[in-house]
Amino acid sequence: MTIEHHPDIATLMAFSAGTLDGPYATVIATHLAMSEGGRETLSHMDSIGGALLTAEPAALMSSGSLDRLLGTLGDEKIEVVPHDERGDDALPLPVQSYLPEGLVAVRWKWTGPGVATADLAWGDDGKSRLMLLRVGAGRRVPEHGHGGHELTLILQGAYRDRFGVFAKGDIADHDEDIEHQPIAEPGEDCICLVAVDARLTFRGRLMRVLQPLFGI
Amino acid sequence: MYAVVMTNSDIGQPPVLPGIDDPASLMLRIAQQQDKSALAALFGLFGPRVKSMMIKLGAGDALAEDLVQETFLTVWRKAALYSNQRGAASTWIFTIARNLRIDQLRRQSNKPYEDLEKVTLASDSPTGSMLVERHQVIDRVTAALTTLSEDQQEVVRLSFIHDMPHARIAETIGIPLGTVKSRLRLAYERLRPMLEDLQ
Repeated sequence: MTIEHHPDIATLMAFSAGTLDGPYATVIATHLAMSEGGRETLSHMDSIGGALLTAEPAALMSSGSLDRLLGTLGDEKIEVVPHDERGDDALPLPVQSYLPEGLVAVRWKWTGPGVATADLAWGDDGKSRLMLLRVGAGRRVPEHGHGGHELTLILQGAYRDRFGVFAKGDIADHDEDIEHQPIAEPGEDCICLVAVDARLTFRGRLMRVLQPLFGI
Repeated sequence: MYAVVMTNSDIGQPPVLPGIDDPASLMLRIAQQQDKSALAALFGLFGPRVKSMMIKLGAGDALAEDLVQETFLTVWRKAALYSNQRGAASTWIFTIARNLRIDQLRRQSNKPYEDLEKVTLASDSPTGSMLVERHQVIDRVTAALTTLSEDQQEVVRLSFIHDMPHARIAETIGIPLGTVKSRLRLAYERLRPMLEDLQ
């Protein structure tokens, strides 16, 4: 798998700092599970945290804190390196807990011609959500802008828009000022893992009428 | 690479050998020998700094102490998973503390991070680079952080240490969200040569 489209550096820094809302963190972790190069970049960013921690002033520890730590070590179970014995076609681990029976078992909800979605989870504040988007082979998603930050990771198939072709493992990291109209490539339905922090806004009169029906 | 260049420019100076108490050596002693005195030394070095970070996030003294305890119990439990070729001990401790603050201070799931760690451990081979003194490289990054503009330093610290989402950073210092992101990107570009030398 060759990854052509990567997350914005600022998004990856937020992941490294640990400040992304749950749905976004899940999409980024799933992408990184598919991208060794991405994991290397993340390890560079984590070093910023390491450097800042090293530079933190030392707070005063309570007396006895070290004894308390050493006293509880005996109860701790030592962890060993895990082995991933799942098949090559298994879903990446970070998304698998939402889809224990795989993509074939998803209960899709019709949201437009050739387009279906399935909600997976909500963010902490209920303002963002994690969902799957399925676009039929060769079908187009209505042109839309974003009410906020949208992360789209391709799990299966591919789509094309004015930014290029997005295939398995690629991520589209769009801010609110972006408008685009993805068209699924022919051959196979395109299935994406999506995090959104607001309702998408569809352009055009007809689409404004339809949007409440779509619910996306 | 960078280390070699530094040595050439400092002819006559002996190479700095890993000290017995540098964080990487301490981690190896914990991993290989379950050495409690090494854990105690590591706790002495980083425990007070982890506590300082947790207090900045609004944890009271008792909770911050508990989170420090939990951080170092995790270090102990996962020491065998640590490889000094994957990064500095301080970086690893930062990621453990970060996962705890997501889980316990923000009460969100840190499962994406735990899952990704499993993927990394199961599939990535260590880089196999020379045993560069990781903490020295971290010292260089720490020094490089101080060369960022004040604006850039501010957003990096608010993000990594104060645990603020970008939108909250924008509100707090009164700048557009896009400016927060562009400052972070510029900061990363500036740090990139030092960071990539870690590999």
